[in-house]
Amino acid sequence: MSFSKEITIAKSSVPKVALLVLATIFAFGIFEVGFDQGQLFSIVFGEQAYADLYIHELTHDMRHAAGFPCH
Amino acid sequence: MSLFITIILLSGCSAGVIHGLVNLALVEPYLDKAIGIENQHMFASGEAKDTSQFWAEYYSYRAWQKGGQLLAGAILGTAIGALFGIVFGYAKNILPGNSFAKKALALAAIMWITLYLIPFAKYPANPPTVGDPETILLRQMLYVSFIAISGFGALGFYQVFRRLKSKRFVAVLGYAGFIATVFVVMPQNPDAITAPADLVNGFRAVSLVGVSAFWLSVGLIFGVLWQKLQPDRVKQARFQ
Repeated sequence: MSFSKEITIAKSSVPKVALLVLATIFAFGIFEVGFDQGQLFSIVFGEQAYADLYIHELTHDMRHAAGFPCH
Repeated sequence: MSLFITIILLSGCSAGVIHGLVNLALVEPYLDKAIGIENQHMFASGEAKDTSQFWAEYYSYRAWQKGGQLLAGAILGTAIGALFGIVFGYAKNILPGNSFAKKALALAAIMWITLYLIPFAKYPANPPTVGDPETILLRQMLYVSFIAISGFGALGFYQVFRRLKSKRFVAVLGYAGFIATVFVVMPQNPDAITAPADLVNGFRAVSLVGVSAFWLSVGLIFGVLWQKLQPDRVKQARFQ
């Protein structure tokens, strides 16, 4: 007789693809909220993005509140 | 694996939105007050004029910034949640607690202390009006370096902790000695604080409450989801 049973694998590891995805999300999110000074939008808008600072202004209040140096 | 990633991102994002909501309620009044002082400086120096057009632009600009609290909270929360998930994935077997929910809370407490509380004690948050734009790169470098040193230091002493069969508290004391030395050696924030002390201290207190609410939320939400869904549980065929 056979049956299917659920067991818990208590292996301490993270799949490599998951690690890559999560590490990328971590780096991108921290940079955007904590440090972006026009870099992301400069890919599309060029030098003007450094003057507009859309991401900086959008994240401004959280940047201060979370403890990042802002300006 | 997708469930693993979903739990991590969902808990981080939710905790980030909670962080944003706490900030909207507690931190915004201090930000408004600090930006009000900046405005007075601009009027006094002639950089801006106290006109109805100025205030119309100001309120629209502040609405954009305040709305950003929630979006930035979601992005920051998802990012920190991703780091939290990675560390939990590797450390879950050694974390204290007899359930994943308790283990997640224990990890949140450890990360809150090493990645936030100790760096905050050295380089506390500041409201607008505090901070010389000329020193921004130096301040960012100091802040990030301190967090990285504290985080990697904790990781290093965790390896010591894991290898010790007894007297594991030695690893905790080792980290404490290490970070105390770094705390003393690292340079101070170079900017003088000219804003009123009650504004700066009040801002720092509510900022601490907001970030602490994030870490508590991410530990709770992640722990409950992990406990309930256990993404590392797999089906195995057994023959008897």
